[in-house]
Amino acid sequence: MEKFSKEMLRKLANQVMFDLNDQECEELQEEFETYLKQLELLNKIDTEHVEEMVYPFEAPTSFIRNDDEVYAISQEDAMKNVPQASENYVVVPKVVK
Amino acid sequence: MKIQEFTKDVEKNVGRCAALSEKAQKKLNAIVTFIDHSEQIEAVKKMDPSLPLYGVPIAIKDNFNTKGIRTTASSRILDNYVPIYDATVIKKLKDAGAILFAKTSMDELGMGGTNLNAYTGKVNNPYDVSRISGGSSGGSAALVAEGVVPVAMGTDTGDSIRKPAAYCGVVGFKPTYGRISRYGVIPYASSLDHVGFFTTCIEDAARMLEVCAGRDDHDMTSSYEKVEEYEKNLNSDIRGKKIAILENVMNSIEDQRIVDNFNEVILKLEKRGAIVERVSMDETLLQTLLPVYLIIANAEACANHSNLDGVRFGMREDGNDLEEIMINSRTKGFSSAVRKRFVLGSYSLFVENQEKLFRKAQKVRRVIVDEYRKILEKYDCVIASAAPTIAPHPEDSVGEKMSDTYLVAENFMILGNMSGYPSLTLPSGFVEGLPIGINVTAKAFDEQNLLNICKAIEEETGLENHTAGGSYEL
Repeated sequence: MEKFSKEMLRKLANQVMFDLNDQECEELQEEFETYLKQLELLNKIDTEHVEEMVYPFEAPTSFIRNDDEVYAISQEDAMKNVPQASENYVVVPKVVK
Repeated sequence: MKIQEFTKDVEKNVGRCAALSEKAQKKLNAIVTFIDHSEQIEAVKKMDPSLPLYGVPIAIKDNFNTKGIRTTASSRILDNYVPIYDATVIKKLKDAGAILFAKTSMDELGMGGTNLNAYTGKVNNPYDVSRISGGSSGGSAALVAEGVVPVAMGTDTGDSIRKPAAYCGVVGFKPTYGRISRYGVIPYASSLDHVGFFTTCIEDAARMLEVCAGRDDHDMTSSYEKVEEYEKNLNSDIRGKKIAILENVMNSIEDQRIVDNFNEVILKLEKRGAIVERVSMDETLLQTLLPVYLIIANAEACANHSNLDGVRFGMREDGNDLEEIMINSRTKGFSSAVRKRFVLGSYSLFVENQEKLFRKAQKVRRVIVDEYRKILEKYDCVIASAAPTIAPHPEDSVGEKMSDTYLVAENFMILGNMSGYPSLTLPSGFVEGLPIGINVTAKAFDEQNLLNICKAIEEETGLENHTAGGSYEL
């Protein structure tokens, strides 16, 4: 597996929308080393013809609910936690400049 | 203190807990948000006093959405978040007459096993404040152990109820996946997250399960399985019950005092007529528990928390454009530990890595669960010491790091999350004045059987209703 450079780790972090400082990158480099060891452990287990287990109980949902409006929040409630709002709109910097 | 010891005088109940909580907060640092109870008290006084939780103050882990009460999940990014709705289980508690007492500290977003990674700092162990409470539901465990409240809600993704229960000497119960609705609970990893609670005795755990369990259309993974009368049907006669000791765990524990305590309990169960046998699972397979867990949990967490961006709710940081706002809010809002986990999680979800990491982990999960299920097909429960050590000091805590000594014994309770099987930790004794516990796991939806076996253990240990804070008069 590829070596994890600081640049690569920063790029990974930016893709999920945050930054890492130098120290965090260094710690993460070490943690990726552990990750590789863990991967070795996983590879010891034969999983040929094994399906992924996505949830503990895989009972299929075999019904569709009626198309009724069963739950909706009011506009007032929806706006209660918005950090910056104006006239019922969430305010952010101009997107199209 | 047990639920039944609480009076029908709601004000008196709340007053007692409030007085204790002030002292306890200085000692434990377990509470994130204190709640004004006056409106709740008035509402409960109008309810039927025969309700199962009438006037009982219950502490709530800070990842349950509570309408009008700040809910931070111990993360800076949610420091100003006030939910506009109640989680389903919170509504059920209120309908049963409970008083939401306080919001409790946790590892940020549930990600951790020490409670050291909380925005409000370390939660102290009630038996020795220099030691950890365990996590991620550490604040809830500590408050019940101190005797401040009889019950506290928690969540359990890896062992986040059952490990702090062991370290703090209380009952910690994570029922079957789907038994209690997760709707309105800030997630960690959706395929592993369970709702549960802490109590001081099995009887209260049975009552709590009856209140909290049941299908919820808001949570499509919640079960239609019938909710039983767990408390009424509680029966500690375990004659003929088949109990499997998980040898991989017990053989690796180096502290002989913990092993001796466990063996003493087992002898007593045999005297009661239980059939006890030793079983082991493939050691290599068990060593994959932690890595499989981390790969799946980090990946699911990274995806689940993409909505925490400071735009529609939560703490917003300034930026010149939307992207900068999100990046700045998330960088400052999440601790470094959480951001590192998100990077690991995101990495395993990349298309080029999915097969060798994420999907591989999901496949190994099935292999593990299949082997575990085969054991439980032959036995009523699987049992082992809940932790290989007493609650450690912060510098000695392994958290979720790779520990060669205790890779299995520190992490085997993850089996309950991967399988979804009901799993309960209860106190079994003390070493150096610190509590130790036993973990018992049963078949899916076999909670009654599990509670019955645990009731027998509790009768043998004599630790029903034991708290660090001693007994308090109402």
